[in-house]
Amino acid sequence: MMVMVKALPFLWQGLLVTLQISAIVVAIALVLGVLFGTALTYAPRWVAWPVRAYSDIARGLPLITLIFFVYYAMPALKVNVSGWWAAVSALAAFETAHVSEVTRGALQSIHPGQTEAGRAIGLSFEQRMLYVIFPQALRRFLPPWINTVVDTVKGSALVSLVGIVDLMLAVQQVIGRTFQPLPLYVLGAAIYFVINYTLSQLSRRLEARFAYVRE
Amino acid sequence: MSANSGAPLVKVCDLRKRFGQNEVLRGVDLDVTRGEVVSVIGASGSGKTTMLRCVNLLETYDSGSIMVDGVEVGYSGEGPARRRRGERELARIRADIGMVFQLFNLFPHLTARENVMLGLRKVRRLGYREARDIADRWLARVGLADKRDSLPYELSGGQQQRVGIARAVAMNPKVLLLDEITSALDPELVGEVLNVVRELAADGMTMLLVTHEMSFARDVSARVVFMDAGRVAVQGTPREVFGGQPHERLRSFLARIEMRH
Repeated sequence: MMVMVKALPFLWQGLLVTLQISAIVVAIALVLGVLFGTALTYAPRWVAWPVRAYSDIARGLPLITLIFFVYYAMPALKVNVSGWWAAVSALAAFETAHVSEVTRGALQSIHPGQTEAGRAIGLSFEQRMLYVIFPQALRRFLPPWINTVVDTVKGSALVSLVGIVDLMLAVQQVIGRTFQPLPLYVLGAAIYFVINYTLSQLSRRLEARFAYVRE
Repeated sequence: MSANSGAPLVKVCDLRKRFGQNEVLRGVDLDVTRGEVVSVIGASGSGKTTMLRCVNLLETYDSGSIMVDGVEVGYSGEGPARRRRGERELARIRADIGMVFQLFNLFPHLTARENVMLGLRKVRRLGYREARDIADRWLARVGLADKRDSLPYELSGGQQQRVGIARAVAMNPKVLLLDEITSALDPELVGEVLNVVRELAADGMTMLLVTHEMSFARDVSARVVFMDAGRVAVQGTPREVFGGQPHERLRSFLARIEMRH
């Protein structure tokens, strides 16, 4: 027990890095994912097809291979990226693909009659998205999207493998000094759990908040 | 009023459309004059709904033309320069063509009033108060003044469809398209919706409607059009169409409808 308490200050910095990386990745993936998901659903084939290929590849690879790929391939291509950026962009690429699919699913769940009704009163594509489709798709989007946020926090532990001192690596460093792996891994797991459990509770609240249509 | 008010408001000429191998419209010709109510009847698969949806380009058409108030809706340019209109041009054209749907298609996240206001605000670009007043006036006209703050799921089918009508007519369209608007309603709710349409007809609203309600088609329309196999097979006054037709397919269609009721 004592070793856990003593370790906390050392883990603090790592926790901040984990949260920071997660927040940046979630923000990038949200913007790009919604854009790509909209393209997957509505864009002409020549736009949708590359997005589809990207999404299938990014989701089809283990996250760790994606991280190593960016980490080692970028320098080989003479692009200089820090380990931090390599990790963030790999994670973002991975999560963007997932958010794209979540977006596509949410948009496709909206009855085509909604698009037709919007068209019939003369709304442009952007207006239909903004006032008709997105507001309805939001509640289908939120629960699976929070899952991708949780996945991001968990996935961010892998950045420790390219030497970024996040929560995971901080735990391992303390273990390296104390030789007490069990209590420290339990502590690390507990912190991850608290973050993610909070997120899924938040998801439940949001779901209730946006349940304005009875089915 | 446009310059050529003597010409038909809606003029469909040799309209053709195929879905893959299936040619659903094989040269439809149809005119609707200003203030006229035209009902289109016919068996499922006769192409009547597809034809109607072509008028506001919810379906594209392959050849032929549809003129609404002198403007070709689906294409611009002539001859080799002829090309399909883009989304933006279509949005402008559609704003002047009202449509009421079989499944209502109300926006479920918006109240009755907001449903009617959306097009007024975002397409007509009216201010909030003006749009709200127009919406409230139309909701009162269709008998739903007290339901304006209700969400669609709180309304009965008949009430939802009346909001659908209010949403379409509030835009002050040149012509109103009605696509089997009572087919999804419980029988006891059909009357309230048809009464609204009757009133619009009395007010001189130009309407093109697809319906299975023969008695309604008979008493509301100036002209009834019977479509069969992607063409207009018979058209005339209700009396001409419903009163002892020599046309074989129309006779058997009407007989089948009779049997159902």
